This record gives sequence, C-alpha cells and structure tokens, in this order.
Amino acid sequence: MNQIHPTAIISDSAKLGDNITVEPFTIIKENVEIGDGCFIGPNVVIYEGARLGRNIKIYQGAAVSHIPQHIKYAGEETLCIIGDNTVIHEFATVHRGTKETGKTEIGKNVLMMAYSHVAHDCRIGDKCILANAVQLGGFTELDEWVIVGGAVPVHQFCKIGKHAMIGTGSGVGKDVPPYVLAADYPIKYEGINIVGLRRRGFTSDQIETIKKVYHILYDSSLNVTQATEKIVSEFPGEPLAKDIVDFIDRSKRGILGK
Amino acid sequence: MVNIHPTAIVSPKAKLGENVTVAPMAIIHDDVEIGDNTFIGPRSVIYDYARIGSRVRIYHSASISHVCQDLKFKGEITYCYIGDNSILHEYVTVHRGTEASGKTIVGKNAYLMAYTHIAHDCVLEDNITIANCTQMGGHVLIQRNAVIGGLVKIHQFCRIGKFCMIQGSRKVIKDVPPFILAGGRELSYEGLNSVGLRRNGFLAEDLTMLKSIYHCLFHSGLNVTQAKEKIKFEYGNEGFTKEIIDFINTSQRGIIS
Repeated sequence: MNQIHPTAIISDSAKLGDNITVEPFTIIKENVEIGDGCFIGPNVVIYEGARLGRNIKIYQGAAVSHIPQHIKYAGEETLCIIGDNTVIHEFATVHRGTKETGKTEIGKNVLMMAYSHVAHDCRIGDKCILANAVQLGGFTELDEWVIVGGAVPVHQFCKIGKHAMIGTGSGVGKDVPPYVLAADYPIKYEGINIVGLRRRGFTSDQIETIKKVYHILYDSSLNVTQATEKIVSEFPGEPLAKDIVDFIDRSKRGILGK
Repeated sequence: MVNIHPTAIVSPKAKLGENVTVAPMAIIHDDVEIGDNTFIGPRSVIYDYARIGSRVRIYHSASISHVCQDLKFKGEITYCYIGDNSILHEYVTVHRGTEASGKTIVGKNAYLMAYTHIAHDCVLEDNITIANCTQMGGHVLIQRNAVIGGLVKIHQFCRIGKFCMIQGSRKVIKDVPPFILAGGRELSYEGLNSVGLRRNGFLAEDLTMLKSIYHCLFHSGLNVTQAKEKIKFEYGNEGFTKEIIDFINTSQRGIIS
C-alpha cells in the first residue's frame, strides 16, 4: 500500500513497488522504477532513468537522475541506479550517466549527506559515506566502505580504493589507494585508516601487513613501478597486497603522493 | 491571526503563534511549535520536534529539525530549538539532536546564510553569524557573538569561543579559544578579532590585556601548560584570564596553535 500525497506528481508510466511513501510536492517522471519500502521526501524530483532499489530514503529537495553536467551529453537515454537502503539527504544531487558508460551507479547502504553531488557515470561502492557538500566529478569511482570528508571536491576520473578515508579540507586530484587515510591540502598520504579497519574487523596482523606494503610504496626511495615490483616479490599470495597492487595497476591518474 | 498560503501544508496539531506567515508550498509537521510573527518561507519544511521562537525568518527551501546523519540515530525523540529573531537563509539545514544530548540549539539573533548546515547536537549560542555553505559535524559548540566565514568546515566536537572570527574556506579541527581571529592554511591564531571586539563595546585596555594573554599563549615559545602557568602568574586568574584558561582546560580536541 503506497502513501502518496495528493500534491505529488507521479507519471503513470513510473513503476512503483509496495509500501512507498511520497511526500508533498514531489515529482516522479516517466521511465522510473522504485523498489518496495522507499521513502521519497518533500520537494524531491526523480527524473527519467532512475532505478531505485528497496528501502531507500531520499530527503527534501534532492534531485535524482537529473541530466548530466557534461557538454557532450546529447539527451541519450541512460540510467541512474541506486542500491538498497541507501540514504540521500537534503539537496543532494545525483546525475544519470552519459553514453560513455550508460549509467551512474550507487551501491547499497550508502549515506549521502546534505548538499553532496554524484556526477554522471560515477560508480559508488556499497557502504560509502559522502559527508556534507562533497562534490564528485564525472566518472569517479569509489570502491566499498570509502568515507569522504565534508566539502571535499573529487576530480573527474579519480578512483578511491576500498576502506580509504579522505579528510575534510582536502581535494582529490589523483587516485587514492585502498585502506589509506588521505588528508591535508594539497592532499597526501597520512597513513592507514586504522580506526575504520578495526571497526570493520580487520585483525592486527592484517593491519600490520597493509602498513608494511605502504611502507614500501611511500617510505622508500623507489618509484611506483619499482615499489610495485618489490611488493609483489615480498608478499607473494598475500590478498591485501594484491588488492593494493591491482589498484595501482588500474590507476590512470597516478597514485596519491606523500 | 495566522497567514497561511492555501498551497502550504500545515498540520492541525502544530502550534502556531500570532501573526505567523507560512509561504506557498511550505510544510509544517505535527509536533512543531512556532512563536509569534515568524515567517516560514516557500518550500521550506519544518519537521517534527522543532521549537521555533518569535520573529524568526526562515527562507526558501530550508529544512528545520530533520532527522540527523548520525549512523547511531535510531529515531529517538529529540528536539531542535531556533531562538528569537534568527534568520535562516535559503537551503539551510538544521538537524535535530540524537540521544547524546537530545537537542540541537540555535540561539537568538542567529544569522545563517545560504546552504549552512547545522548538524545534530550542535549548540549555537546567541548572536552568531555564519556565512554561506559553512558545514559542521555533530556536537559542535559555537559560543556567543562568533562570526564564521563562508565555506568553513568544522569537525565534529570542535568548540569555537565567544567573539571569535574564523576566516572563510578554512577547516576547524581543533578548538578555537575566545576573542581571536583564526585563519591561515592550517587554522591558527592571527591576532585578536579587534573589529568585532570594539563593535561589541570592548575598551582599548581590554584589547591590550587580551593581546598580552594571547601573546603569552601563542608567541612566547612555551607549551600550553607552561603558558597557562605564566598567564596565571602574570595576570591573575580572574576575568579574561579565567575565561581563556577555563576554555583551554575544558578542551577535548586541543586548541589551535
């Protein structure tokens, strides 16, 4: 049983699941799918191409699946996919994809705080947190469990590895490898996101391994290629080291400096 | 006499004072109290447990007493107080508290410019001015008459002392003691907030006194504990000295340098 306020404007062709609440003055356009149990706050607009999972909460004034802020965008039909249990706070904006990837994708259990922006073709992993007024450029990729501090801008095409944390007041212009704490202006490597890793059940041994890997990457006089080779030779078969090396391999913008 | 636009949605359970104006498409939820002569702007939403004073002006699309962004929040009943004569500009968001303190407080005569965010459990004392897009984490305390520039990021649990001024675009990750101007790339002491202090009736000798105390704290090469001893020794432990030393002693996050 859906609860839809009489002032909300919902397209007849939008596909709504069950138990959905739509608050006053909200607009839902055609070609939208919304899963069961979603809460859509007041003054929200959900544009064409939105695919919402279950139990999502979208609060006041948010814009979901709006057209990209991309000069080359020519009105092609693309998607904006949002995973279950994600919460999108007031005035946050999520744009749909361009023809490059065809979709913007936000994972499950993501928290987007007030005024944050996810641009076209971004991919946000599960359980990420974007604090207030975080602004992501297009094609940005965040792996799971990433936390981005308040008002941080992220340059287009940047990648942030899993469990990384970005401190407020910085700006991301290069790829941030997994498990790292990056902060300051200009942004730099500040160590491992130890608090985050402990909270998520990483053992002391695992944290120690990650530390050793980054010691090679950041504390020695090797360049990135040499450091990667050394990590591979010193940690054969170690999954955490492999995650880090794989991330470095897929980096296009270069790795965060020290 | 209450002036409610026909497109506004006001819960019959909400308690509105005399001469309240509610602009088009504004929404006021059930458990809300609004004082006399307050203006609720178009498309703004006042959620449950808001307690708004008199002569407050809330402009376009502001969000007051919304549920907070704390992952520990489980829907408990908490409040959001907005003091008399406060002005909240477009898209301002003020979240209600969590069980930690039970309330978020914005004092009297606050001036919150567009896009400002006041998080859960924050306390803003009276006469605070905050410029555009300043964002703060939870549990922040801003003491009276402080002025915060635009685009400032304030870390959770930070405290900003009274009559302080914070330059725009900075990040506040430590406590800022009272009466000073804080700025620079890594937020630091940049002198007294002299203009603010003079405007608020501080005398020339007050400023000289404060300047010597802060010189002792920041420029004498002593660490904070030593500086406190020296300040107590040279200027006694009353008046300004006591206020500053009490602020430092109760600091959880340490003070700026």
